[in-house]
Amino acid sequence: MRESCTAVVARNDVWQGVAASEPYETAWADEAVVFLRNLESQGAPEEARAWVQISADGIRWVDEGTSFPVPAQGEVTFCRLRNFGGYMRVKTILPPGASFKALLSIALKG
Amino acid sequence: MNDVRQLWTDPALGRFDPLPRILCYDDFNRGLNGYTALVGNYEDTLDTVLPGYRDMNQPMLSNGTHWDTGSHGGYGGTYALKVVTRPRPGAINMALKRLTFRKRCPIRLEAFLTFKPEATELQLSELDVRAFTLVFDIQDEGCRWMPHVRYLNALDGKPQKKWQFKCKTEQAPQIGNSGKTKSHHHFSAEGWQDIPNGSQEICYNEVATKYNWHYFRIDVDLGARRITGLQFNDKVLDTSAVEVMRFDSAWPNLAQLFNICWLVETDTSKRAFLYIDSVLLSGDFEHA
Repeated sequence: MRESCTAVVARNDVWQGVAASEPYETAWADEAVVFLRNLESQGAPEEARAWVQISADGIRWVDEGTSFPVPAQGEVTFCRLRNFGGYMRVKTILPPGASFKALLSIALKG
Repeated sequence: MNDVRQLWTDPALGRFDPLPRILCYDDFNRGLNGYTALVGNYEDTLDTVLPGYRDMNQPMLSNGTHWDTGSHGGYGGTYALKVVTRPRPGAINMALKRLTFRKRCPIRLEAFLTFKPEATELQLSELDVRAFTLVFDIQDEGCRWMPHVRYLNALDGKPQKKWQFKCKTEQAPQIGNSGKTKSHHHFSAEGWQDIPNGSQEICYNEVATKYNWHYFRIDVDLGARRITGLQFNDKVLDTSAVEVMRFDSAWPNLAQLFNICWLVETDTSKRAFLYIDSVLLSGDFEHA
């Protein structure tokens, strides 16, 4: 049977301006679905997009190429990923005056 | 006890010295083995979580990959459990496994582990990790009690390199308005005491990305509510003066609680990593 794990990487973290999730190690997994939930927001963070970054060392990050909308308050957005290597995170740049409380879950299988 | 010697030629278990009954063996090449994140208690909204719990997030399966050498791997196999703090001085994170106990008997927890800071600069960084900690959260019919031990590596940039315990209880404010939920930040920085003769040099190695695996053992008598043994590599500590955190009464909804909690704390604005290769929990039912 394959391994699986859903990691809640951000729980009620306030994201504003340039924001990124904590690094998460994914070397064992073949596939991931990233879910981003907006628990409460100020302004209009949904005007921005979030995107996936990957890393060889967990320190230096490059864009993976996948992006998805930042959700409006109470909503969830997601993306599907493969071939992401050893470290993953999600980054966004929110408009001035916008912020939200993020619940970021990464569902991994491998 | 001679039966335990039969394990010595088992490639997986031969490095442990368990009590007669193995209760669980956590090999992180086989997944997270029930270790998860701690979420602080809450009602209605996550905003009610106590501040000391808000940073905590999920442990991960790590192959120990670094920028300069690639993957380090585990003591046995590829993966270890990795607990990571946020990059803020004093930040703490925890991974825990939630069990209940069958017998109020002597138990033994053994593990192979190591700790390192995130290698964000080309410096030795040996004082960047403040501490790693092992806590049991236990409740029997009489009370809730919580053995706490930690290795304090550094504090405010100064080397400490000693073992400590904590028995001082923390305030436990009500959470929300139902009257059913309370929470206490029991592993906070205040109230730790030195274990007598508890100084110990630990192999850190010579670069932040080189790590060596260490043996850890703690013995607890669930009947006597005492820590009865503590060992790290070749050092066996005298725990006769070590007290456990103890509350006057049992808490609601926690009967036979037995949680194993591993924590790591950073002393700087770098993430601190606690890697746990494997954990073996054993007990001695015949001497309950």
